[in-house]
Amino acid sequence: MTSAAPVISDVAYQDLLNDPYPIFKRVRDTASAVFVAAANLTLVTRFDDIVKIERDPVTYSSDNPTSLVNKVMGPTFMRKDGAEHATGRKAIEPSFRSGTIKEHWTPRFAEISERLINSLSGAGEADLFHALAAPMASLSLMEMIGFKEMPWETLALWSQFLIDGAGNYARDAEIERKAMEAGSGIDAAIEAVLDHHRAHPNPSILSSMVHADPPMPIEEIRANIKVIIGGGLNEPRDAILTLTLGLLANPAQKESVLVKPELWPNAFEEAVRWISPIGMYPRRVTRETDLSDVMLPEGLQIGLCVGAANRDDRRFSNPDMFDIFRPRQSHLAFGAGAHFCAGTWVSRQTVGKIVVPMLFERLRNLRLREDAPPLIRGWVFRGPVSLPVRWDA
Amino acid sequence: MPKIIFVSADGVTREVAAGADQSIMQAALAAGVPGIVAECNGAAACATCHCYFDPAYAACVGEIGEQESEMLDFAASERTADSRLSCQVRVMAEMDGMTVRVPALQ
Ligand code: FES
Repeated sequence: MTSAAPVISDVAYQDLLNDPYPIFKRVRDTASAVFVAAANLTLVTRFDDIVKIERDPVTYSSDNPTSLVNKVMGPTFMRKDGAEHATGRKAIEPSFRSGTIKEHWTPRFAEISERLINSLSGAGEADLFHALAAPMASLSLMEMIGFKEMPWETLALWSQFLIDGAGNYARDAEIERKAMEAGSGIDAAIEAVLDHHRAHPNPSILSSMVHADPPMPIEEIRANIKVIIGGGLNEPRDAILTLTLGLLANPAQKESVLVKPELWPNAFEEAVRWISPIGMYPRRVTRETDLSDVMLPEGLQIGLCVGAANRDDRRFSNPDMFDIFRPRQSHLAFGAGAHFCAGTWVSRQTVGKIVVPMLFERLRNLRLREDAPPLIRGWVFRGPVSLPVRWDA
Repeated sequence: MPKIIFVSADGVTREVAAGADQSIMQAALAAGVPGIVAECNGAAACATCHCYFDPAYAACVGEIGEQESEMLDFAASERTADSRLSCQVRVMAEMDGMTVRVPALQ
């Protein structure tokens, strides 16, 4: 029988940040869509429902002119459907092609990774968040976009401020100010290199945008680069840390992958299923519709919790466990449908084949610290915010 | 409506009546053909709708696109001369009786 979305109001926002999975499970077991008061949003958490939604962009639109993302970043193709989205997507494709990844990005990203790991190898201990994952993600994104070199912290801060701004449902003035400031910093960084990319076509994203047919208009370049900075930095960063943590916490699996390197791709997919870097993204219901027995009214904002769907026990057995040997099955860590993450293959290559394997190869006897446990946070975006480790220097 | 014959990696065949305004991937999904995942729902971005097409029908299957070809390099099963992303191939009346082989892995 079809009814309105049930409401859960006894959950605190802090609980979602600390450990959303028990809440996700409760939502999943309650109904296909549940209004969670702490999130101020109707959440969809079941695997099959999210796949169904992503196959029907007419009923469930990405287009939302009033969204905070549009306010903070401008008109981005993340918040468009159909032809408009496809044009934007096509304009960046050349940077993400398999040939470009293999010939151009892989050697560069291997160099950055090598430099970072070499520089910390003598220390014997580090927090891998600041020592490796964040600079790795920042420096490689900088190159991919086609920015002039800058301190990795600058791009990382811009990314954080944009994300905070896009999630600023409480309309905090200070958060808004920082997001706008990051935005002008990015506009200036684009301006500084645009002529160079026009004159010298190259594999970078900015070059792809200005040489697309037709070239992307400047206001769209600005907005889409912001989306790429907001989304392209924390995901690889968090995936590096999550994969490392999954293996360090499960020594038998770590041993297997070290003796059988062909297991790295499985390990990577399992890591992003287990703790998906993007846990939730929004859609808008365009017409009254029935989603697996819950009536969703026209205009309703819904949150697709892929982080929850990736632990849906209807699909994955023992979903809370990190297990690189689970049977191969697609997950939703990269989304689904037309907005399927453009960075998927770069990320598979960089995180799963370059950075993390190199880390285990170079740092002997890498291990977690019993006196300083890792810290994982977030539900919209989730990942380790601290991963202290030791090794034999 | 043309009939397309999907053959799974273990040899099981399934005949599907395909609509002319569909892609081969959409026809397969609508009929519940196993082995075609189509994570990106036709955006040529996921390589999980990879299939092997009968070369006898090459004329109506058409040419492979640049992006499609690059994406096929990521396919989980071996890429051959008959490989295409089924989301990039439109159903045509002339495809009646054509065989499409679904790989073991996507
Ligand atoms: S459905 Fe994703 S490439 Fe065809």
